[in-house]
Amino acid sequence: MSWSDRVDQAYAAALGEASLRDEGFPPLTVEVPADRWVEALAVARDVLGCTFFDWLSAVDEGEGGFAVLCHVVARRTAGVEHLAVRCLLPRSRPVLASAAGVFAGARWHERETHEMFGVDFTDGGALLPMVPLLLPEEFEGHPLRKDFVLASRVAIPWPGAKEPGESEGAPATSRSRRKARPAGVPDPDEWGPR
Amino acid sequence: MTDLGIPPFGMPPLSADRAHYVLDRGAGFVLSIHAFGLACCAVEVVAAAMADEEITHAEETPVDPGRPRYEVMVVSGTVTDKMAPAVLRHFQKLPASSYVISFGSCANSGGPYWDSYCVTKGVDQIVPVDVYVPGCPPRPEAFVAGLRALHRTVEASRG
Amino acid sequence: MSPLPARSRGVIALIEENCTSCMLCARECPSWCIHIDSHTETVPASTEGGRDRTRTVLDRFAIDWSLCMYCSICIEVCPFDALHWSPELAAPEGDIRELTHERDQLEAWLASVPEPQPLDERAEPAKEIAAARRAADRARLGRQA
Repeated sequence: MSWSDRVDQAYAAALGEASLRDEGFPPLTVEVPADRWVEALAVARDVLGCTFFDWLSAVDEGEGGFAVLCHVVARRTAGVEHLAVRCLLPRSRPVLASAAGVFAGARWHERETHEMFGVDFTDGGALLPMVPLLLPEEFEGHPLRKDFVLASRVAIPWPGAKEPGESEGAPATSRSRRKARPAGVPDPDEWGPR
Repeated sequence: MTDLGIPPFGMPPLSADRAHYVLDRGAGFVLSIHAFGLACCAVEVVAAAMADEEITHAEETPVDPGRPRYEVMVVSGTVTDKMAPAVLRHFQKLPASSYVISFGSCANSGGPYWDSYCVTKGVDQIVPVDVYVPGCPPRPEAFVAGLRALHRTVEASRG
Repeated sequence: MSPLPARSRGVIALIEENCTSCMLCARECPSWCIHIDSHTETVPASTEGGRDRTRTVLDRFAIDWSLCMYCSICIEVCPFDALHWSPELAAPEGDIRELTHERDQLEAWLASVPEPQPLDERAEPAKEIAAARRAADRARLGRQA
């Protein structure tokens, strides 16, 4: 039986449904409901033999919310099998049960995910206090969210904004032209110094 | 666990009292190098120290009481905002006549992470820098050139 | 230590003649370390009743080595092959502003740029060679007439 079939079967038996997600690239990804997250990871570890916890992180899916992914690996006599378990959290309230009960090492990754995306983790229903891991204490905001603007790119003038024939302080054409903006810099009307 | 028979390469932990390397060019003084290695550039510093004959491991270099030692802190790698206080603390523990070499683009100006949300854009934001070595990473030859440039500066300032 | 390989990424040399101030390198640079200033000049019509043409003149071309990450994107994207790697190392400086090299310094690195890789012997000759040959033949015939 192929790995993909085994995963399908294990999740169908445990959760009553299994949705294998085709990302277009490895690893094999299975989408599970957020309220059965811990159970899904336990299935990966106990039924499928994915005893090696690789990483846990999130993806900002915009309107779709935050997708939390956990990559685990099953060791075989020859080689390994990869599995990514994924669940989707609503943007307005990204709360998920902690995976540390299944994989102790996940706590560190959850601290980072909380810092970077603002996803909260609970243990037995209670919110876990997450001590900042990588960011300095005074830091405000969640940097890996897609709406987080990198201020340096807004503050520093882009050398590529000039057109051929344009010099510092002396534009090529006298009529005002909408300046080209570099990637990641929002419209000055939307975000910027006031 | 099997013993692979690899000789242990241990750099002493970073301490203001003990340097990692010594540069002795036969002048009236000796440079005592603290390798504050933070990222990839640190590997180039180690490579240069291993290859250049004038740079020796401090542990294996007897201290010469007749010649003054000047401490040099080599900041190699990205200085994150979280790490910046540690860089400053180490510098403040060194004697007042110490020097700083900024090694690589990240230490010079933030480098490729110039727009990051948590990178200090150049170690000169927190400590005074005497020599900037360009590169990403600079070659070991560039480190030696930077050290020699600092050596000349120190020699000139001693008159 | 042994000499550096000829194709090491040391510094970037600029062939000013080739540069048209198209701004592509400045736009594509991920470190925003290339600074280009240019202006347009009008070249009067060469023939009676002809059209005036405009020409872009490069004023400033600077690369800031304190920011550069030596990724080669500027060299790859230049449509006119104006930028090339040289194995020389930019000198360490006491003042970080000295790490920004202007046109004259970038031009000076050209001396150490290695020869380009030879084309495959079985490849078609470059179009520029055929065009240059035709122009030379025309000029020669013009002089003979």
